[in-house]
Amino acid sequence: MGTTYSKEEILAQQLQTAFEHLITEVVRKDTVFAFATKEQVSSILLYAKEKLGYISFVHLSCVDWLESGEFELVYIIWSPETKINLFVKTRLDRENPSMENTDMIWRQINTYQREIREMFGVEFPGFVGEKEFILEDWEDAPPMRRDFDTLEYVNDTFFEREGREDKQDVRERIAKRSGEEIPDFAKKYSRE
Amino acid sequence: MNTILIQILGALATILLAFIVGMFYGGAHRKVIARIQNRVGPPIYQNFIDVLKLYSKETSINHGVMQHMGPVFAITASITSLMFVPILTDGNWFSNLNFSGDLVFLVYMMVFGSLGMALGAGQTGNPNSAIGVTRGLSQMVGYEIPFVMAMVALMTQFHTTSITGMIAVQQQSGTWLMFSNPFAFMAAIMAMLGMFSYAPFDIVTAPAEVSSGPISEFGGKYLGMMMTSGSIFAFVKLALFVDIFMGGASNLVVLVIKTFALYMIPVLYGVISPRYRTEQAITYFWKWPLFFGFIAILYAAF
Amino acid sequence: MYNDKNAQTIVDYIQNFTRKNSLFMLAYGTGCGAIELPATLTSRYDAERLGVRGAATPRQADLLLITGYLSTKTLKRVIRVYEQMQDPKYVIGFGSCTINGGMYWDSYNTIKLLDKYIPVDVYINGCMPRPESVISGFQELKRLIAAGKADGAKKYKENLEWYRENQKKVLKNWPLVEYNW
Repeated sequence: MGTTYSKEEILAQQLQTAFEHLITEVVRKDTVFAFATKEQVSSILLYAKEKLGYISFVHLSCVDWLESGEFELVYIIWSPETKINLFVKTRLDRENPSMENTDMIWRQINTYQREIREMFGVEFPGFVGEKEFILEDWEDAPPMRRDFDTLEYVNDTFFEREGREDKQDVRERIAKRSGEEIPDFAKKYSRE
Repeated sequence: MNTILIQILGALATILLAFIVGMFYGGAHRKVIARIQNRVGPPIYQNFIDVLKLYSKETSINHGVMQHMGPVFAITASITSLMFVPILTDGNWFSNLNFSGDLVFLVYMMVFGSLGMALGAGQTGNPNSAIGVTRGLSQMVGYEIPFVMAMVALMTQFHTTSITGMIAVQQQSGTWLMFSNPFAFMAAIMAMLGMFSYAPFDIVTAPAEVSSGPISEFGGKYLGMMMTSGSIFAFVKLALFVDIFMGGASNLVVLVIKTFALYMIPVLYGVISPRYRTEQAITYFWKWPLFFGFIAILYAAF
Repeated sequence: MYNDKNAQTIVDYIQNFTRKNSLFMLAYGTGCGAIELPATLTSRYDAERLGVRGAATPRQADLLLITGYLSTKTLKRVIRVYEQMQDPKYVIGFGSCTINGGMYWDSYNTIKLLDKYIPVDVYINGCMPRPESVISGFQELKRLIAAGKADGAKKYKENLEWYRENQKKVLKNWPLVEYNW
């Protein structure tokens, strides 16, 4: 008889039949990745929701791939029948990143999109939402981008308490004073 | 001339007495709560320190005229009602302004302070104040009805509308009114729980729900005036109940003992009770207290 | 007679005595530190025996206790709360976040030094300070009040422009209201 397929493989095949050139990967039990292009995402989400029973939206997050000059958006959806987490991933160009608005599929995507717009600067054209979400009066670069230098910004904006400029590593002095030894695993955290 | 002088001095002494006793009772309230919660608690004179500090604070909030008048109304109402309650049964001191209809007058006058407060709080424009005032007036509708029914029962039963008359009745018959019309006493005591607005009836000034309600915009001296008025008014209510139901007091020691015993009823009932919601509080008053009020009137009539 | 120095001393003494023994505290629970306050105020540590008592609104409060880190968004509200309080008023900064930023020392959205924005009378260090430390902070504040040294509000009045400048550096488009003395 023919080989039996696991539920993850069945999902991957269903997606591949529905969408051409879609790369899928069964990562482990209950987890399937789908690497889609920017244009495919909304139709994959809609297809998975309407036809395959992936009715629960879990998360939308953004990853900054600074080295390859791309942002990666990850939509995680879940089906209560198959209990599989489907990760729909897509890559955006890092220059002027913009993504299709999908908050009509799941209303809660709206909140995630607001956060990603604020923290990464990814635009979602046609999407209605307040401009300010967590940050107020923010004029600098979006702070979760990896090329945003947090420390420099902090040093420019906020104050340092006086007398702490040298930032000495006093752990050895304290260890000597109290007659203890610094364990090996802690030595690699030394500031030098 | 001499009697007028004695009257004025007596009035001042009454205010002072009411203030001091009320303040100490407030301290005792906090102490009792603390001891029941297995805490040490603040010293019993803590309320005096609080009031002194509040009076020495600067107050620079202006929301309009009524905001400044609200605490004044409250304190005026407290002192006016105090003037009409006979503190001691005999002697010219502390007799103040009793007249033959004073029970009816007092039932009206005791509402006046809350109304003044409501006006003052309404002017501040704070939404919490508005909610607190609504809650307070609703609760007043709740407890006033059984209270007035108890008073009416007593008035019809003994054919007098004066507090001194009530005291005289008790002295002649030798029994306290809480025994000769127990149903009126029950209704009035349950209404008193609401009058003190301690837990579980502290829905007006609930700090966690409406940020202390009507007084949320009042700080400094105004809060001090509220506290003063509150302690005087607590004493007024206690003295009134002692006069009507417990045969009055012949000297200050007896007065303090009786009022303190009466005061412990709302305090102890409150310590073990969590806060009611508004509609729960009102239904509380409209169930058993109202029932006892009806029985009291029937008992008085037949 | 009324400007007699001794009389003034006595009045000051009484005022300071009442102020230090009756602190109405507005606990501004911004961070994790707020969890230490129920323990401080209830049966185990009982701060009420020292005269410390919770206040529901800033209008009634004498003491602003800031428990933990302040994001710039929270700082706006804290400044407004502080300015709504009536004189004399005191501020206690609680936890290392208010002292030097604590574990949020390199966060783009969290201020590091509280005393650059509003005057702080007493700091309680630690992460977290236990209720004992909080009570010790109260006692330190009481000592300062008795000595007449807890004058943060006066400092704020006198150096209002300096504080406003610091505040505006962080809160760019926030309309800071005119101070209501």
